[in-house]
Amino acid sequence: MRIDRDKCVGCGRCVSYCPVGAIQIFRDGQNPKKKKSRIEEDECVECGVCLRAQVCKPQAIYLPELDWPRVVRRAFSDPMVEHKETRVPGRGTEEMKTNEVTGRFKRGSWGMAVEVGRPGFGARLKDLEMIAMALAKISVVFEPRNPVTFLFEDVKTGKLKPELRNERVLSGIIEFEVKPEQLKPVLEVLKEMAGKVESVFSVDLITHPEEEEKGPALKIVGKMGFPVYPNGKVNLGLGRILNK
Amino acid sequence: MTHTLHRTGDIESLNEDFPMLTHVARGYNDIGAGERLKEMAKIARKYTDLNFGDCKVANKFIMPSEEIMEKHTVGWQVVFKDKKSLIACMKELKEKNIGISVVVSGLFDEVFECCQKAGITPPLIEFALGIHGNKDKIWPPEILDFVTMCGHGLVSGHLVKKMVEDIKKKKITIKKAALELAKPCLCGAFNPHRAAKLLKKMVVR
Repeated sequence: MRIDRDKCVGCGRCVSYCPVGAIQIFRDGQNPKKKKSRIEEDECVECGVCLRAQVCKPQAIYLPELDWPRVVRRAFSDPMVEHKETRVPGRGTEEMKTNEVTGRFKRGSWGMAVEVGRPGFGARLKDLEMIAMALAKISVVFEPRNPVTFLFEDVKTGKLKPELRNERVLSGIIEFEVKPEQLKPVLEVLKEMAGKVESVFSVDLITHPEEEEKGPALKIVGKMGFPVYPNGKVNLGLGRILNK
Repeated sequence: MTHTLHRTGDIESLNEDFPMLTHVARGYNDIGAGERLKEMAKIARKYTDLNFGDCKVANKFIMPSEEIMEKHTVGWQVVFKDKKSLIACMKELKEKNIGISVVVSGLFDEVFECCQKAGITPPLIEFALGIHGNKDKIWPPEILDFVTMCGHGLVSGHLVKKMVEDIKKKKITIKKAALELAKPCLCGAFNPHRAAKLLKKMVVR
């Protein structure tokens, strides 16, 4: 996002809407008595919140044409952008939301996701790469339909296309399945990564309902010292195949 | 992947926070899904008017709900504040058997109880295993409770602080501030009822 310096009246109404604090007020060099708003380009994740907030009366905020690799910021920050590879808006896949129809997660394995930059902080993609590469070393296979997977130069190692490493996004999701014997090593890697990343990450686990409280997955999670929130997502199983 | 997961808060507050989403399955039930989603949205909106949205379109605070319903492509979101309405909605969605997937988020004990009362057996669940990494940099818990109501991270912690300041200065009412916070969350998963209660607590504090 950009702010047209000539149109900006320096009211500062846009500042608080930015989720990553990338808008700042500064004194206009040409006229030090006047203030202007400015978007720190390196910090901006191109989420579009400032523009959609419609708080800029002179309409100084605009979305410029974004080239590669900057366009990746928008794809992983603005949910109105549908990823051309997955055709799913947002940052992930249908995952457990449609599982009763697609049968993607079967008994005997668990779905996992590591959302880098969440909650409300954002992340450089190099953090995501660091985690992905560490997971790849223990034979984690990344979900081929997740948009993050399309950013890898080498999907087997988790190495990103080099020009993407410094791009900043609201969040990116590393998505994969684990067999029961893989869960502990995966959590060990995530513990190690927690001490290395500049940003933050949130971890998800998808299981069948019998896992709740007494299942082996949650036992492993508990032993590894990971918290389990009392709230989460429940698929109601109301979907079915309708396409002829 | 997880836009209604990872909501933080105390049990009392989360007890009034049940987002519901629908999602088509690409290649399985996406053909002609717009009408089905619309039919399901009509049902859900009978039971809750707190929020309604579609992340590819808008939420009801920036576009009329009827207009959003004409533009559905892959799914919509609403949010409930009480189990009675949620159960009634779940029952009707089950009875109508329209065939698009529905996911409800919230306290597991409460959601499972609602499922049981609605005659629903959930096939899959998703747990949140916490926040990790450079946690010193994230918002404090009282702000995080707002920020995590938009899983896409579009609700700014700075805006929460600004709304609290503006309420204290009597520039805006609590209700209007809660709606202002709901606007950036395009999906409609943000709970303005809960936000108003949280704002009230922060103003008193």
